Amino acid sequence: MINKIKRWLPWAALIIALAAVPKVFGIYYMNFFITFAVFAVFSVSLNLLLGYTGLLSFGHAMYFGAGGYGTALALKYIWHLPLLPALSIGVLSAILLAMIVCPLVVRVGGTAFAMMHMAFAQLLYVIALKSRFITGGEDGLANFPIPPFSIPGVVSFTMEGAPSNFYFFAIIVLGASLWLMWFLTKTPFGQIQVGIRDNAKRIDYMGFKVTHAKAVVYIVSAAFAGVAGSVYAMFQNVVSPDGYLGLLVSFTPIINTMLGGIASFFGPVWGTAIYALIEEVIFRFTDRVELVVGIIFVLVIMYAPLGFSGLMLKLKFKWLMFKNKKMRQAV
Amino acid sequence: MNNILETKGLYHDFDGLQVLFDVNLQIREGECHAVIGPNGAGKTTLFNVITGTYKPSKGQVFFKGREITGMQPCDLCRLGIGRSFQITTTFSRLTTFQNLRMGILSKKGVRFNFFKRVDKMEEITRETDDLLRRINLMGERNFPVSALSYGKHRALEISLAMSTDPDLVLLDEFAAGMSRDETHNAVELIKKMTEGKTVVLIEHDMDVVFSLADRITVLHRGQILAVGTPQEIRQNQEVKDAYLGDLEVNAAC
Ligand SMILES: Nc1ncnc2c1ncn2[C@@H]1O[C@H](COP(=O)(O)OP(=O)(O)O)[C@@H](O)[C@H]1O
Ligand SMILES: [Mg+2]
Repeated sequence: MINKIKRWLPWAALIIALAAVPKVFGIYYMNFFITFAVFAVFSVSLNLLLGYTGLLSFGHAMYFGAGGYGTALALKYIWHLPLLPALSIGVLSAILLAMIVCPLVVRVGGTAFAMMHMAFAQLLYVIALKSRFITGGEDGLANFPIPPFSIPGVVSFTMEGAPSNFYFFAIIVLGASLWLMWFLTKTPFGQIQVGIRDNAKRIDYMGFKVTHAKAVVYIVSAAFAGVAGSVYAMFQNVVSPDGYLGLLVSFTPIINTMLGGIASFFGPVWGTAIYALIEEVIFRFTDRVELVVGIIFVLVIMYAPLGFSGLMLKLKFKWLMFKNKKMRQAV
Repeated sequence: MNNILETKGLYHDFDGLQVLFDVNLQIREGECHAVIGPNGAGKTTLFNVITGTYKPSKGQVFFKGREITGMQPCDLCRLGIGRSFQITTTFSRLTTFQNLRMGILSKKGVRFNFFKRVDKMEEITRETDDLLRRINLMGERNFPVSALSYGKHRALEISLAMSTDPDLVLLDEFAAGMSRDETHNAVELIKKMTEGKTVVLIEHDMDVVFSLADRITVLHRGQILAVGTPQEIRQNQEVKDAYLGDLEVNAAC
């Protein structure tokens, strides 16, 4: 019983803290936190491919963009579309796109996989840029209506002009996404995924279909990148090629993941926080944020290839060794 | 007796380099069959075309009377074929327990399950622990595989092939690089684990071959040179000239 309480206590504390953010910190930090949560989910979705299955994509923005553009286009062109269907359309666009390209990409790995995605993402970028009549071209789409969250006859929360309502909506959707992805890694299917990263040949010889498993992970990863993109589009109330499909958008989750650690589920979440904090701090001293981030990135890859969580694990190990030694000396 | 595995007129080449010529292998149900031959004879390639790593360039493979030529390794595993590799092929970053659990999951048909935490599947955990006990790796249950000693790592390799409970197991040089003690343990492990199964093994150590095999096929330059009981093979003049002579197998064995 006590154990159970102990286990749930941190989670309860976290939920209370999250619920208190709008009241305690105000709108600036609320927005900061939504952005953080969006990129945390986006980065973890990338890490499902990178850390858990061993596939590096240089074009994960294509799914973030599909989610963002899907939702934005739906809200713009479908009259009185409710909130959840708008979110679903974004996610389904990402899933659909993933289903179209997955037969091709799951057969390759390594560099081919990475570069193919860069090409796909650039292709979408150009399409978004050139089909000006639908996507608004360079300027993108803006000022589409954000419908209220409503269960007819039960409740209705307006989203426009009520930032804390949107905050709760975003945090619940993104929190649930994180939990779902975490749960997936703990299922038998998650084990197969890890097995593929470690030794795809053995997985094949043990009776699991490697390409099928890769395809499923790929689609799941795309779906959650789509969730992140869709929520971000509603949050910013604008989508544009550079903000949703550009190269930088593809590289952000990679950097987050490398900073935080590819070998752990929550690594990318840490990485997103670290990246955001670094940016916040550096911005006060210089405009050349990318330069400093770049240098930090190189240092991390050279000296802490498993990122922040790898470092923490190492420290924990050292601490245990140290305690052990002290105990032995005491005896 | 029934042949559980049969190849008919099997040929294989790597971009023109002929490696297998008209191989007609017959493996009887329940026997332990050794494939021997000098390095480069094509033994591993023969395993590879049987288990689906490569498609043979010509010929057919039959398992339990059904043609399996060119089928994928995962499908063959589901039909009941297990295999270990000359080069250790394990999940190096997972623990011994997690490695073997993969096999138990596969055996139970638990593959694309997204709804239950694998740690909470008690039957799977119990069976994996049973297997760990049977192969004497319970002490290394939670070690990452990369921390295992060479002998234990190879024992795990063999056990992975067996973990899906196949009817036919192919073992490629399971004792390669092992010390005498480790080899002895591995032979005991195989005897224990393969009861009631059909085994095909590639092995260089003649003591091991003669202690395990019911029948032997000698492969030489991609062709079958001789098939027979250990007695017959030992007395076969052609085999002596081509192979056994090199190894200086003494007459005492
Ligand atoms: N993937 C490959 N590509 C090209 N040649 C290969 C390949 N695998 C094996 N060979 C060649 O096929 C021959 C047989 O190899 P192999 O089957 O590994 O022999 P064995 O296992 O009997 O020692 C060798 O000459 C080897 O060089
Ligand atoms: Mg070989």
